[in-house]
Amino acid sequence: MPSSSGYFRTHYDQDLRFIDTRTQRYCLWLLLAWLAIYPFLATEMLLDLANQVLLASVGAIALMLLTGFAGQVSLGHAGLLAAGAFTAGILFKEFAAPVWVTLPASAAIGAVLGLLFGLPSLRLRGLYLAVSTLALHFIVAYLGGEYEAKRGFSSGIVIDPPVLFGWVLDSAQAWYFVLLAASAGTLLLAANLLRSKTGRAWRAIHDREAVAEALGVNVPAHKLLAFVISSSLTAMAGCLFAYFRGFVSVEAFTLFLSIQYVAMVIVGGMGSLLGALLGAAFVVLFPYGIEWAMAILPIPTRWSGMVFAVDYAAFGLVMIAFLLFEPQGLVGIWRRMQNYFLLWPFKQQLMRK
Amino acid sequence: MQTLINILVLASIYALISCGYVLIYRVSRVLNLAHGEFMMLGAYGLLATASSFGAHPFAAVGVASVMALLVGVAIYFVLMRHMTGESVLAAVLCTIAVGILLRGLITLTWGAQQHYPMEQLGWVNSSISVFGDARISAASLGLIIATAVCYSGLFLFLRYTRWGIQMRAAGQNPLLAAQRGIRLNGIYALAWGLATFTGGIAGMLIACDSGLQTTIVTIGLKAFPATLVGGLDSLLGALVGSLIIGTAEVLLINYVDPLLSDVAPFFILLVMLIFRPWGLFGTREEIDRV
Amino acid sequence: MSTPATLKDKAILEVDKLEVSYHRVVTAIQGVTLEVRRGQIVALLGNNGAGKTTTLRAISGFLGIDDARVSEGTVRFCGKDIANRFPHEVAGMGIVLVPERDKVFENLTVQENLEANSPRQSSTLSRMQEAVYAYFPLLARLRGRQAGYLSGGERQMLAIGAALMCGPELLLVDELSLGLAPIIVEELAERLRAIRDELGLSILLVEQNAHVALEIADYGYIIENGRIVMDGDRERLTGHQDIQEFYLGAGGSGRRNYRDVKQYRRSRRWYG
Repeated sequence: MPSSSGYFRTHYDQDLRFIDTRTQRYCLWLLLAWLAIYPFLATEMLLDLANQVLLASVGAIALMLLTGFAGQVSLGHAGLLAAGAFTAGILFKEFAAPVWVTLPASAAIGAVLGLLFGLPSLRLRGLYLAVSTLALHFIVAYLGGEYEAKRGFSSGIVIDPPVLFGWVLDSAQAWYFVLLAASAGTLLLAANLLRSKTGRAWRAIHDREAVAEALGVNVPAHKLLAFVISSSLTAMAGCLFAYFRGFVSVEAFTLFLSIQYVAMVIVGGMGSLLGALLGAAFVVLFPYGIEWAMAILPIPTRWSGMVFAVDYAAFGLVMIAFLLFEPQGLVGIWRRMQNYFLLWPFKQQLMRK
Repeated sequence: MQTLINILVLASIYALISCGYVLIYRVSRVLNLAHGEFMMLGAYGLLATASSFGAHPFAAVGVASVMALLVGVAIYFVLMRHMTGESVLAAVLCTIAVGILLRGLITLTWGAQQHYPMEQLGWVNSSISVFGDARISAASLGLIIATAVCYSGLFLFLRYTRWGIQMRAAGQNPLLAAQRGIRLNGIYALAWGLATFTGGIAGMLIACDSGLQTTIVTIGLKAFPATLVGGLDSLLGALVGSLIIGTAEVLLINYVDPLLSDVAPFFILLVMLIFRPWGLFGTREEIDRV
Repeated sequence: MSTPATLKDKAILEVDKLEVSYHRVVTAIQGVTLEVRRGQIVALLGNNGAGKTTTLRAISGFLGIDDARVSEGTVRFCGKDIANRFPHEVAGMGIVLVPERDKVFENLTVQENLEANSPRQSSTLSRMQEAVYAYFPLLARLRGRQAGYLSGGERQMLAIGAALMCGPELLLVDELSLGLAPIIVEELAERLRAIRDELGLSILLVEQNAHVALEIADYGYIIENGRIVMDGDRERLTGHQDIQEFYLGAGGSGRRNYRDVKQYRRSRRWYG
C-alpha cells in the first residue's frame, strides 16, 4: 500500500493482514479468475511462457527470502536448482521413484545443501559469502557432471512425465495449474514467514546484525534457517524443472543461471515479494522480447545467427541500467506510478531512503 | 620436471590475472567479477590490432596493451564511478553485468569460433627445451616473464612512486585521502586501468599460447580463488595463492582426474573461506554487509 | 596577539548564515556565521553534538558522503563560494582538514604519509617535508615507522604535518586535544602557534577543551545546538563569567543559583 493512499493502519492486526482494503480484495478475485481461465484462452506459446514464469517465480521468491529479506547474498542458486533436478533425475533413473518421493527428497537435499551453503555465512559477510556460494555452485555442478559421466548419461538424463493421482502430467495446461499451485504455495509460505517472528528476525539481521543480536535474535540460527528454507524451496523448483523439461543436464545450470536469478531479485526490487514475481517475469520474458525485437528491427544479418550473444549483451545492459538508475527495481517504478496517480494533480515529493 | 614447468606456467597465468583482482579490490573495495571478460577483451584487442598492424607485431602488442589500459579507465569513469557509495553487492553485480555485456558484444563482433592471434602476428609458438627433457612453449615463457615483470613493476610502483603511495593511501582511507587533496577518481581510474592492462596482457599471452575462444573467461574465473586464497588485498598473497592453486590443479590433472581440475580451485577456496576467510596474507577486516 | 595588524583586516574564510540539513530532513546547524581572518587562530567551542563537526564538514566539502547538504547560507573562501564542493577541490584551494579520528594512513610509514599528499605546487614537496620534520623533530626520527604503530600524540603531529604538506592557507583542526595527555596538548598548541607565525596561515580550531583553545586562539565562537551563541576575542571570552562557568570549569564564587543559569540560557538565545 503506498503511503500516499490515505489508508493508514491503526491496529497491529491490520499490519498482519494480507489484504487491507475492499478494492484490493476485488482485484485479487479478478486476478484469480483471470489466472483460472488463462490457459484456456492463451496460445500454446503464451501458455509455455506463463509456465516458465511460474516456475522461475518459485526460485525467485526463494532467493528473495534469502537475499532481499535476510540479506544473505547467494550466487549459487543455479547449484541448488541443479541439486533438486539431479535428485529427481537420479532417483527416477536408479529407483524409478514417483514424484511424491522425488519432490520431498529434493526438498531434503536442498535443506542439507542449504545448511552447507549457510555455514560459511556464520563467519562471512557480503562479498565473501557471495564467493563461497559461488564456490559451492561449482562443486555441485561438478558432482552432477561426474554422475552424468560415470553413468554414461553424457547428454543428460531423460525423465518421464510425473503421475499425480493417476493423472499423467504431460499437457501444458495441466502443468500450468501445477506450477500455479507451486508458485502460489511458495508465495503464501513466504508471505506468512515474513509476517511471523522469523521474518522480522531476518529483516533485523538484514539491517544490522549486531543490533539484531543485541535485541535477542538468534542470528546464526536465523541465518541458517533462511538458507535452509530458501535452498529447499529452490531445490523443489529444480525438481519441478526437471519434470517440466523431462530432461536433466548439467549444461542447463550455468553460472549465468545464478546471475539470472540474482537479476530477478535486483530487477524486481529488493525486499519485496511482488518484486520477485515481477523480476521472474521480466527475466524469463526478456530473451523472447529480444528475439521479437530482432525480428522487426533492421539489424545486421550476421547477428541474427547469434541471438544468444545479443541476448547476453542486452541483458547486461538492462542489469546495469537497473543498478544505476532504478535500484528499487520494477517495484519502485510500480510504487511511483501508484503514488503519481494517487496524488495527481499534485507533484510527489521524492523521499530518498 | 615437466610437471614443475607446468605448475610454474599455470601459476603465473593465475598470478598475472590475480593482480587485477587485487588492485581493484585493494583500492576501491570492489570485487571485479568481470575481470575474466576484461582479459578476454585484451586478447581480442590483440586480434584486432594483429590484423591491422600485421607487419609490426610489437606495435600490435603495444597498441593492444594501451587499449586494454584505456578500457579500464573508461569503465571506471562511465560506470563504476557511479557505484561509489552503493552497497558492495550492487557494485559487484554491476561488474557481473559488465562482464555479461562484454561477453555478448565480443561474441557479436568476433564470433564464437577459435582464433589464433599468434599466427596473425607472424610469430611461431616454438617449443623450447629447458632442463633436459622438459619443454616450454615460447608463449608460456613469455607469460612467466610478463608475470615477473608486472609483479616487480607493481611492487616498485606501489612502494616508491607517489601515485603508488597515494593508491595505497586511498585504498586504506578514502575519506582522509580526499581531505589531503588526493583525487580519488583519478586513483581509482588508474587502478582499473592497471588491472585491465595486466589482465589484458595475460589474455593476450594465453591466446597466443592456446588459441582464442570465448571460453577463455573460465580461466579468469579460476584465477579468482587463487586471489582469495592469498588474500584479496595482498599482491604477495596473490602470488602465493596462484602457486598453491596452480600446483593443486596440475597435480590433480596428472595424478587423479582431469575433470577435478575445474572444481579444485573452488574447493580449496571454500576450505580457505571456512578457516581463514581473509586469506593467507590478507588483512583481517569486517566486510561490508549487503 | 603577535599577528601584524596589516594582515588582520582581510577575512580569509567567511561563513554566513550557514544551514546544513541531513537527508533533507534533519537540520544540524542553523544560521552559523563566523569569520577567520588571515593569520588568525580562531576557536570554535562547543559541547558534544553542538554542530562543530558539521560546520567543519560543510567547510571542507564532506557533507555529501552522509547525504547532507548546505541548504542555506554561504561558505566563502578568499571571496569564492565553496559550499557543496568536492573535498579534493576544497583541498586544492588551500583548505586542509586535520580530522578527529582516522587522521593518518595506518599502513603507510611516516614518510609515505607525508608523501601521499597532493601539494598544490609539486615543486615544494621536498622543501615542505624538511619543514615538517623541522617543526616536529620527533617525526624525523620515526620516518620509517608504520603510522599504525604511533602513539596518539605522534599521530596528531603526523596528521598536522601531513596537512601542512598540502600547502594550506587555512588549516582546520578537529579536536586537537582529544585523547591526549595535557602536556602533549600544550606542546602541540604551542607548535601550532609557531607554525602559524612562521607560515602565516590561518587556523580554525574546533575544540571541546576550551582551556587549550582559548590559550592560543585570537578569537573564539561558541556554538550550542547548532547556533553560535557567543563570540569575542580571547580576553572577552576568558573574562566572561558564563564561559568560565560552563566551559572553563572555574567555579569561582561557589554555587550559583538556578536563576543565574536561566539568565545565561536566555541571554545566549539572543546571541543566536
